[in-house]
Amino acid sequence: MSLLSVDRLEKRFGGLPAVDGVSFAVDEGEILAIVGPNGAGKSTLLKVIGGLERATAGVVTLGDEPITGLSPHQIRRRGLAMVMQTPRSFSSMTTIENSVLGAMFGGHTGRLSEREAVARGRDALAFVGLGARARHPVGTLNLHEQRFLELARALAGRPRILLLDEVMAGLNDTELRSSIDIVRTVRDHLGITVIWVEHVMKAVMNLAERILVLNFGRVLVDGDPQQVMRHPEVIDAYLGTARA
Amino acid sequence: MLLDGTALGLQFGLLGVGLTLVYGLGGILNLAYGQMAVMGAMVVTLTMRAGLPAGWAVAVGLLTVGALGLLLDATIMRPVYRQQGEHRVLLSLLLTLGVGIVIDGLLMWRYPIGSLGLDIGGAAVEIFGVRMRTGTLLASVISVTTGGLMLAFLRMSTLGKAIRSVIQDEEGSRLVGINPAAVRRLIFILSGILAGLVAVTRSMTSPVGVNAGIDFTILALIVAVVGGLGSISGAFVAGILLGMVSTVSAFYIGQYITTIVLLAAAAATILLRPTGLLGRNT
Ligand SMILES: Nc1ncnc2c1ncn2[C@@H]1O[C@H](COP(=O)(O)OP(=O)(O)O)[C@@H](O)[C@H]1O
Ligand SMILES: [Mg+2]
Repeated sequence: MSLLSVDRLEKRFGGLPAVDGVSFAVDEGEILAIVGPNGAGKSTLLKVIGGLERATAGVVTLGDEPITGLSPHQIRRRGLAMVMQTPRSFSSMTTIENSVLGAMFGGHTGRLSEREAVARGRDALAFVGLGARARHPVGTLNLHEQRFLELARALAGRPRILLLDEVMAGLNDTELRSSIDIVRTVRDHLGITVIWVEHVMKAVMNLAERILVLNFGRVLVDGDPQQVMRHPEVIDAYLGTARA
Repeated sequence: MLLDGTALGLQFGLLGVGLTLVYGLGGILNLAYGQMAVMGAMVVTLTMRAGLPAGWAVAVGLLTVGALGLLLDATIMRPVYRQQGEHRVLLSLLLTLGVGIVIDGLLMWRYPIGSLGLDIGGAAVEIFGVRMRTGTLLASVISVTTGGLMLAFLRMSTLGKAIRSVIQDEEGSRLVGINPAAVRRLIFILSGILAGLVAVTRSMTSPVGVNAGIDFTILALIVAVVGGLGSISGAFVAGILLGMVSTVSAFYIGQYITTIVLLAAAAATILLRPTGLLGRNT
């Protein structure tokens, strides 16, 4: 059975569809990459799934429960975590404080004791390699580290499924490699299912086992990388205009 | 006088913190804040007259204003939360102004010439060789303790950090799994309790008129502005500073002019340091 399924999901902004009848499903343990040109509706799709935007039609099911219309905090407590395109860490706090908030409020295992939340926050930081920066203010982290902090904050809640929105944009080659590695480790070692929106084609080809191409809010192709790359419309619509 | 100034300043600080916390919710200014404070002191006085011991009376009074905060959050604030930006600010101003006027009206209709005084004030005590009135001393102790607890709660506890996270970035807090609605509720309760507490401690040193609501609101606004609206530690520092200024100015110049001095301080802050004393929001 699939862990997350999206059925004819639609989101309109003042009449204009940003997500226009999207359907797909991911199984437990999959890494699904979603690609598509700028403005294709990728971020909106993730936000609707995570409850940050309200769907105008369609259903999202997590496990065996529909989550459409739930608030973001309710969805997080059901085991779906998300990292947005621009880092949203709390700048007045330290790295560990951010991570602990994710453990305390973003968990799907019920309310934690303060001590347990701190332990989980610490584990998550160590996992992304920021253990030594625990007491540093968020402001001292560079973009790459901030993205890792966001990842740690999401992981601290021990989600079942993780949604990532272009977390590799603007990274250099070394950083890119370490990001790819960590996403793979999240799936392989933590057993977390990943839906990953990406613009950096090199990263996508390196990591994805399945790619879904979105264009004008619709699914263009959904299949393994070879299949997708051979698709004529993909070559036209996406690769023809891609920057990466 | 320095001690009196500090005592007053601590109370100013708490008053400002209560207002600034609510302001953190996307610019909501609670203009019924002072009336809530007076309500708190009023309930304390009435329950004491009914024979309850002072400690219990204070507890009842503070719970009442806390509940009033909760009520505001659950009713009149609902449409406010649905608005964003300027609309949220404006609607909150109008609605809370209305609530304030209603509370004022009720209080003055029921207790036309009442003024509230908690009778603890009279006798003088001597600590560290300084003579202080018992009321002033008690008020200071209560204010320092509350202030310390508040700051520790907001800085150190995870729940306090959740409150700060909603103030800083509401959508970001949603992303972490925090429920902003629950945090708003908590903030309104806390703010009400702080308002009530300040009115109670004020009434320990000098009588508080039933119609003092608007004065409390203005004072809280001045403190919050000087501290940088939305900044909690800023409100504290500004409160202490303005308490000193106020005491000195009241002594040398007079009470009426003092209000103008305080307003001028707030205006100067906006002109010179728009982000408040401590510069950045926390
Ligand atoms: N809050 C919003 N209000 C109005 N239009 C929006 C909003 N968010 C996104 N859109 C529009 O929806 C479309 C898809 O945007 P987005 O999901 O950000 O695309 P992508 O992430 O694929 O680049 C764009 O045309 C964008 O302008
Ligand atoms: Mg996007």
